[in-house]
Amino acid sequence: MTACLSQPPSRKPPLMSTFKLGQLFWLSYPLTVAITLLAFYGLMSFEGDSADWQLLTDGYFLGVLGFTLKQSLISSLASIVFAIPIARALCLLKNARYKQLFLGLCLLCFVTPTLVVVTGLVALLGRAGWLTPYIESLLGNDNWNLYGLNGILLAHLFMNMPFAIRMMYQQLSNIPDTSWRLANQLKLTCWQRFLIVEKPVIQATGLMLFGFIFVLCFNSFAVVLALGGGPQSTTLEVAVYQALKYDFNIPEALTLAWSQLLIAGGLYAGFASFGSPVWQSHEMESRPIRLSSPTLLKRGYSAVLIGVVSILLILPYLALLPGFSLLTSPNSWSLFAHPLLLSIGLGITAAALSLLMAYALLQPIRQQLRQQQNFTAKLLEQVATHQLFAPAMVISVGLFVYLLPRIDLDRWGIIVVIALNAAVLVPFAFQKLKPRLIQFDQQYDRLCLSLKLSPIERWKIEWGFLRPSFISATGLVFVLAMGDVAIFAIFGPSNLSTLPWLIYNLASTYRIPEASAASLLLLVVCAWALWALQIAADKTEIKEKPDRAKP
Amino acid sequence: MLNLNDIYVTLDGYPLHYHLTVSTGEIVAIQGASGVGKTTLLNTVAGFITPDKGEVSWDGEELTNAAVDQRPVSMLFQDHNLFEHLSVLQNLQLGFSHKVPTHLIEQSAQTLGISEHLTKKPHQLSGGQRQRIGLLRTLLRPEPIILLDEPFAELDSATREVAGNWVRNTAKSNGKTVLLVTHQSEDVERVADRCIELRYPESATQ
Repeated sequence: MTACLSQPPSRKPPLMSTFKLGQLFWLSYPLTVAITLLAFYGLMSFEGDSADWQLLTDGYFLGVLGFTLKQSLISSLASIVFAIPIARALCLLKNARYKQLFLGLCLLCFVTPTLVVVTGLVALLGRAGWLTPYIESLLGNDNWNLYGLNGILLAHLFMNMPFAIRMMYQQLSNIPDTSWRLANQLKLTCWQRFLIVEKPVIQATGLMLFGFIFVLCFNSFAVVLALGGGPQSTTLEVAVYQALKYDFNIPEALTLAWSQLLIAGGLYAGFASFGSPVWQSHEMESRPIRLSSPTLLKRGYSAVLIGVVSILLILPYLALLPGFSLLTSPNSWSLFAHPLLLSIGLGITAAALSLLMAYALLQPIRQQLRQQQNFTAKLLEQVATHQLFAPAMVISVGLFVYLLPRIDLDRWGIIVVIALNAAVLVPFAFQKLKPRLIQFDQQYDRLCLSLKLSPIERWKIEWGFLRPSFISATGLVFVLAMGDVAIFAIFGPSNLSTLPWLIYNLASTYRIPEASAASLLLLVVCAWALWALQIAADKTEIKEKPDRAKP
Repeated sequence: MLNLNDIYVTLDGYPLHYHLTVSTGEIVAIQGASGVGKTTLLNTVAGFITPDKGEVSWDGEELTNAAVDQRPVSMLFQDHNLFEHLSVLQNLQLGFSHKVPTHLIEQSAQTLGISEHLTKKPHQLSGGQRQRIGLLRTLLRPEPIILLDEPFAELDSATREVAGNWVRNTAKSNGKTVLLVTHQSEDVERVADRCIELRYPESATQ
């Protein structure tokens, strides 16, 4: 059969519109750098006051720095050390459904707003906590105190260990089956298998995770603010906040902020050489992994270990449940309604802005990669994600100092809260969207060009491809923005409160039942957002069956 | 007439040289050993590779520096010819600047044995079905130069014959100029007017 075609007129591609759009995306770079530059300008000086470098030799500063390093070191080491056997046990677990649930719980622990975790731990292990009498009888005295190093370590462990488990599990599951087959064929002992097959993976991942968790704990604000318990248990980040908001000692705040920036930024840059974990990933394969041929005893031990860890991870959430009764009372709603709406509004706006910004920042990078300008692309990526090197508190302080004499911060503070939240979340949105867009270019750029698609046609097709990643990124960025405490602590107007800030205020005045109720509410909103958006993302997920491989 | 006038391309450090002319409406098969530069030749005509030296022209108009989307070329790649998240029909409707020849698409899909798959997503299809869908769109697009990179590689012998005949008939009745890369001599005999064998080290011999 013969197909007959008419010859339509040739099409002129709308080159000008492509050109202009491409140029517009470049504007996102000065925009993203502007906030940081303004913050740095603020860090230089304030109305003649500059950083007080004498402070660096002061006992107070050294004490704060020492405690910051100590808690970061113990938290990150403990997270990794506990994560390794748990991740290995998870690999031995046969029940794929339970495995997925456990991995989902791990993700929830990591992204749960910090103050929800803190409130849960206080309800569980605080002065009148559920488990406190048992712990005291176990210790043989009544000296148990959650506040201070104990609480900080427990909270950090609760949030970071599950993350380390997920990452370790992911890496172990990437060991090819052929390695296990070879190990079996060579009749290696368990110890030999561990040394030869697993250790290289665990070692590389462990180092990267150690660096990442260390920096997270070093920059931890809300946990230390809520559970610090005095000058002996203060980190640099909290000291900056106290100098600025309680003492209004700008030179001290600037010195501490610079120290925080140089140490945290330097550590991040150093640890980044080990690689960076794709922590946002929801996707986690649960294919059966043949760590070895485990005995029944080993399987039993794994199941028990995972069961115990699951209970321990769920306990702080369960401890919030008594707050549920308060949620049914209209009086409580008058307390929670405004902060809840403000948090949701703030979360949605900041998430939308950060995703748009990340998308815009990615366009010039894609263009450079398509032209095989890999070095320029790498450079642009560093600029686009530079906020990772500068803790939110440092940027907030710099910007606060810069804006203080220029605008009425009590009136416009909420705008700055949104803008700053969006700015600090850009790297996370960026890292979530980037692989998908790069994949689109690698798979389809030639095809799009060959089909002579207009920019609009191409964008429509690209959007269909990007949508699952975009939706799941929205969930994560929204939850992170909802949980912000550091930026709101600096810029939040006195007449407004977000839900996390309300929780902090309630907890710090020992109104634990109300704090639990508010935490439960925040947890439900965050978990629902994550769950609903992940369902939506899964529904739009694309099943792929690649064309035949290129010879 | 498609003219490749003393084209020099460097690929992974190896110099390649092409010099050939294809008449309008002619179907030319390109053969040669793996790595000799068959796909590179197609990519050069399509504009994905810019030659170091030489000139590509079509009906006297120079294309050497024209962007991919400004060339009168429709190309079937070895892989990734379909957007996985679009249905087969949506995929088939892309690449037409004005009216989509829906009736013709349906008719040709019938001939190629893929008409019952139009509402499916590509991942639901076999390699051969996907290849025929890509082939169908490439041939039906309005561009006068058609580049086919191993279009029958995943087809069984019966389907191969049907697809080959369809390509030849469609191309001939619409005056398409076709460059067809294939390893199979039966494809050359069935579809092409003549065959060019590319050879090492660097010359394309007509």
